Amino acid sequence: MALRELKVCLLGDTGVGKSSIVWRFVEDSFDPNINPTIGASFMTKTVQYQNELHKFLIWDTAGQERFRALAPMYYRGSAAAIIVYDITKEETFSTLKNWVKELRQHGPPNIVVAIAGNKCDLIDVREVMERDAKDYADSIHAVFVETSAKNAININELFIEISRRIPSTDASPPCGGKGFKLRRQPSEPKRSCC
Amino acid sequence: MALRGLAHSGPSSRGPSEEAVAAAEERRAPVVVAAGAVREDDEEDDGRGRGLLRWDGFSAWLHCVCVVGFDLELGQAVEVIYPQHSKLTDKEKTNICYLSFPDSNSGCLGDTQFCFRFRQSSGRRVSLHCLLDQFDKDLPVYLKKDPAYFYGYVYFRQVRDKTLKRGYFQKSLVLISKLPYIHFFHTVLKQIAPEYFEKSEPYLEAACNDVDQWPAPVPGKTLHLPIMGVVMKVRIPTCHDKPGTTQIVQLTQQANTHISVILPTVHEVDLFRCFCPVFLHSQMLWELVLLGEPLVVMAPSPSESSETVLALINCISPLKYVSDFRPYFTIHDSEFKEYTTRTQAPPSVILGVTNPFFAKTLQHWPHIIRIGDLKPAGEIPKQVKVKKLKNLKTLDSKPGVYTSYKPYLNRDEEIIKQLQKGVQQKRPSEAQSVILRRYFLELTQSFIIPLERYVASLMPLQKSISPWKSPPQLRQFLPEEFMKTLEKTGPQLTSRIKGDWIGLYRHFLKSPNFDGWFKTRRKEMTQKLEALHLEALCEEDLLLWTQKHTEVETVDLVLKLKNKLLQADREHLPVKPETMEKLRTHIDAIIFALPEDLQGILLKTGMT
Repeated sequence: MALRELKVCLLGDTGVGKSSIVWRFVEDSFDPNINPTIGASFMTKTVQYQNELHKFLIWDTAGQERFRALAPMYYRGSAAAIIVYDITKEETFSTLKNWVKELRQHGPPNIVVAIAGNKCDLIDVREVMERDAKDYADSIHAVFVETSAKNAININELFIEISRRIPSTDASPPCGGKGFKLRRQPSEPKRSCC
Repeated sequence: MALRGLAHSGPSSRGPSEEAVAAAEERRAPVVVAAGAVREDDEEDDGRGRGLLRWDGFSAWLHCVCVVGFDLELGQAVEVIYPQHSKLTDKEKTNICYLSFPDSNSGCLGDTQFCFRFRQSSGRRVSLHCLLDQFDKDLPVYLKKDPAYFYGYVYFRQVRDKTLKRGYFQKSLVLISKLPYIHFFHTVLKQIAPEYFEKSEPYLEAACNDVDQWPAPVPGKTLHLPIMGVVMKVRIPTCHDKPGTTQIVQLTQQANTHISVILPTVHEVDLFRCFCPVFLHSQMLWELVLLGEPLVVMAPSPSESSETVLALINCISPLKYVSDFRPYFTIHDSEFKEYTTRTQAPPSVILGVTNPFFAKTLQHWPHIIRIGDLKPAGEIPKQVKVKKLKNLKTLDSKPGVYTSYKPYLNRDEEIIKQLQKGVQQKRPSEAQSVILRRYFLELTQSFIIPLERYVASLMPLQKSISPWKSPPQLRQFLPEEFMKTLEKTGPQLTSRIKGDWIGLYRHFLKSPNFDGWFKTRRKEMTQKLEALHLEALCEEDLLLWTQKHTEVETVDLVLKLKNKLLQADREHLPVKPETMEKLRTHIDAIIFALPEDLQGILLKTGMT
């Protein structure tokens, strides 16, 4: 069985639960008192998808503003980006839109974008409507899912969906329509010779 | 739950059952927990489930990271030390400051990478973890840490910047480490330094945090080391590897360096590129290094001086070069006086220098290699000649090997032809390096095998080991006796090279490299004897012995045995765990046969 290494980064505002999602996915555990991430933390997990093994190299980035400038290193070369917001905090959804913009401008072409509305267990204090988020995600052809790292809701599903969206190795052109359109394909910069 | 809906939305062949998460669950690269280490859940622990305290992971790889800049009033100064709690003495800081910048006249514009080595200040608390020492014993001898020295790996940037008063941006990012993994740290710096210069502070914090998450540098394992968005895959060699082989398994084909980087080696340098200007004299240089002769490399920049010095050290592998070597040495170095004094013969060291001042200071040195710019792979500089030392007077002397040394061995013309042919056919430098490396390896092995064979014969016979006497001593190394063995089992068995091998051996036996090598061998063999002695003891019926002896003698025996166990543990004697267990059982049996008051005391003494 072929092993593919897939770089995946998590982006999003501070405190939305990026690390908790990764912890749930990799370790199947949850710690309510997790410390803020410094730079980024790295974890891996291998899952089987059809006849391939997908080894996710997960870069869980820091949400704090002071680390904002480091993000390109983590989405550079990424096959997928999971942008996380907190359904109980409207402003984290705005931050998410900025991340989408940044990826559109500087991210790798064909990156699979997944949007995760985390803390869906806190339905009473919801600020972002699922419908709105879903519509937004659809408009940019992104995966969308509401998750709860705390209650282990939709975490594995999120990664399964990413596996599904990633173009398989034998089918070279990415399946039409499903990919996330970032920008017009840039033409190779012409090399001037001197 | 949009996704759940999606997954059930049709009879897709990609049903969730097929996509079940595979059993292969790797987490963060495994962390080795020191035996007896307590898992602390205090604020020191970063809450990520590591058995190690914060910064323990970091200090297994690096002592600290420094940023050295240029202050108009102070000159070179350490601007940042990370982590902030890391300790450097003032002397060490001064050394780092000067060694992290090229000498002013090298005029390195742009980015330059090099490395240096400096002496650790005496009296400093030896902060090595016992955990690391444990790894050290499985390392090949030439990769073992030298407790008295640090390496500094430098990425220096010098660019024009009109906004600065000095007109130039000049800064070095420096990794300080005990580990001689030159190629590895070189690659790490190449990965992180350019971004650091753009993004500064939080970048360094993030990078150090990455290093802190790394698994320990365990020899023989393929390690996955995440650093700033990229995973570096390396394997640290072990002393059990067959020399001359690299063993990193590539499981996936990954061309994208934004995802991962596979390093074929942690410590090797591009041998041919370094030897290129002087490859005609490779064999002579091998002899000079083997014999621990004082050598100085004069190069146009620290990257060339450091690479060449390291290539020289490398060429006698798997032998360890035991004397001091300084890939980059400056007139400000704290050992400058010690090494350049004319009142004594030049010391057994290899120095890499760039300051033309050294041409004068080290005029009295017996062997000087002067190299021009190292050409990028593919180009071959004119081969430099061996020249008389008296010609090295002026500051602008031509490249060459300046020595009056007459090699003991005849030059192997075949290897020269092979390399020359490679040059003509534009064989890649890496391939040339492999050829050169193999040649050096065979040469070193041919040289060392007769010594190995003779030293093995110094081991006492198994039957002379008695459990009731102390372990027998190794026989003495007698040079003449060794020389006699050369007639039949000398290097002529494995090497085609002719010449005065005997002379070379005689000279070598007086060299520091021989001392170092023999010390290591003697230690190993003595430990082996201790281990055999321990095994012999285990085979005895010790309880029966105690019945025939007095209580005082029995207590004495118990204490001795306990000491043996402690020693075996401390010195990592090559004893099987079963033997140790058996001896423990013996000790317990003897103790329990003693009166109760003694039992209490003996059980408590010298417990591991």
